[in-house]
Amino acid sequence: MSMHFVKAGLQTSIQDLGRQGLMHLGISNSGAMDTNAMKLANWLVDKPIDSAVIEVTLVGPKIRFEKPMTIAICGAQFDLYLNNNMVFNDENIQVKKNDVLEFDRLQQGARAYIAFSGDLQLRPLLGSCSTHLTAKFGGFNNRQVNNNDRLAISSTALSPDKKIPTKNEIIYSGKYLLRCTRSVESDRFGQQQSEQFYSQRYQVTPECNRMGIKLSGKPIEFEEQLEITSCGLTQGSIQIPPSGQPIVSSVDGQTIGGYPRIANVISADLPVLGQLKAGDLLNFTLVTQSFAEKMLIEVQEFQKKMMS
Amino acid sequence: MNDSKNDSLSFRIVDNGDSALTVIFNQTPSEFLTRKIRSLQQLIRDHFHNIVHDIIPAYQSITILFNLSAISKSNLKEKLSDILNKPIEPSNYQSKLLEIPVCYESKYALDLAALATHCNMTVQQVIEVHTSQTYLVHMLGFLPGFLYLGGLSAQLHCPRKINPATRIPAGSVGIGGEQTGIYPVDSPGGWHIIGRTPLPMFDPTKNNPAIASPLDKIKFISIGQSEFLELQKRHKETNR
Repeated sequence: MSMHFVKAGLQTSIQDLGRQGLMHLGISNSGAMDTNAMKLANWLVDKPIDSAVIEVTLVGPKIRFEKPMTIAICGAQFDLYLNNNMVFNDENIQVKKNDVLEFDRLQQGARAYIAFSGDLQLRPLLGSCSTHLTAKFGGFNNRQVNNNDRLAISSTALSPDKKIPTKNEIIYSGKYLLRCTRSVESDRFGQQQSEQFYSQRYQVTPECNRMGIKLSGKPIEFEEQLEITSCGLTQGSIQIPPSGQPIVSSVDGQTIGGYPRIANVISADLPVLGQLKAGDLLNFTLVTQSFAEKMLIEVQEFQKKMMS
Repeated sequence: MNDSKNDSLSFRIVDNGDSALTVIFNQTPSEFLTRKIRSLQQLIRDHFHNIVHDIIPAYQSITILFNLSAISKSNLKEKLSDILNKPIEPSNYQSKLLEIPVCYESKYALDLAALATHCNMTVQQVIEVHTSQTYLVHMLGFLPGFLYLGGLSAQLHCPRKINPATRIPAGSVGIGGEQTGIYPVDSPGGWHIIGRTPLPMFDPTKNNPAIASPLDKIKFISIGQSEFLELQKRHKETNR
């Protein structure tokens, strides 16, 4: 045994890049919500960037290490203590046997990712080690981590010290502009409804999880309900249910939806959804398809350059 | 089906975010359309092997999720139109008939009495109508292993609950609007629960984690509580 969760935290789970090719069975992608942070953490500990990591949500765990290993934490910033000494995000940390890592106050963002040298002793299920929290399968024992769980990690190879350059550190301000392209029912919304959606500022509600993120703002009003037939729902879809308050779907979301979609967050911005928490402020802006494609290439090239 | 007009479908291709397209057919849901969609699903899989990673068929549409770094959306749209403009043979998939045992006793059917009242029927009549139909699986989705079924008798249509239940146990059989279905995993939900099956609907450890695929047929068989418990026990043992 090698990682003992003295305290589990609010919602701590094993995630990788998730499962593809199963949506026709109703199985959504699952996987890390902030894939950028997940990849960086793996890079810091010299692992393939798609390796399984520990996703920490809002309230972090307290972990006692039963083996020496190298770890790295990226994404949301917590006050982090290793045996009561402060340690930091975005650089690798060498831990010794019996060291205790504690996540204290959350400073920025919502989800942090812990990568570690050595391999998790987990058998992939349907092609992935991700925990599908809605359907309760995969990951560690088909569930999130509980108090006193122990995660087995093989090999104790250590990785040399490595750091993300300060200029590339990400700041989660709690105010975000999400870029969107059009979705299936976009043209069913009138000009006034679209203008309202793109001009107003939304607040993230406490109903914000791996399935979806509910927002609150001035409700979008319908003269009559838009009747639509259920069809394939993708990550980042912004549905407008009868309440008029948007729901942004995420990694564990349903694969078929029945509410009209006004827009869809671009692929390059999807990792931001993983850092949203209640009270955060959002604006949306409509961009072209070619801009969305360009942004994704930019993100990919930036990552390639930094992680080379 | 010999009518040549039926060979090509009237369709439109719409954006579904930056890395997915949805093809919507201008036809009402039917087994014939579901057979065409199944063929199309296979054609797309064969054509765009390394480009398309997920395909979600639905009643009147098919959604194609692709790898944005492998192809531009406009290019994919063109190639899709080419495929769609040629005649598509309806799939000759051999439908399987699955009998699903359901216990309609009140312990597992919290909303059955209320639904019967709403439909102006007795509880027994509701059970008779629900078990007399053969339902077509149009697609899977919403939750892992959830079957979208066609064929619910209009006598049993009933609007969804205003206040959804926070936890509906896996196996619960419900009616919502014009649909009937089985909750494959524990989940919140707004359907009226009229019974429960002891059969597991979703098993991620199996090669095929769902019990049925589109075009299969479902029939509900009414069972008593003792049989329910017996079957439940048997399924738990085989899963161990």
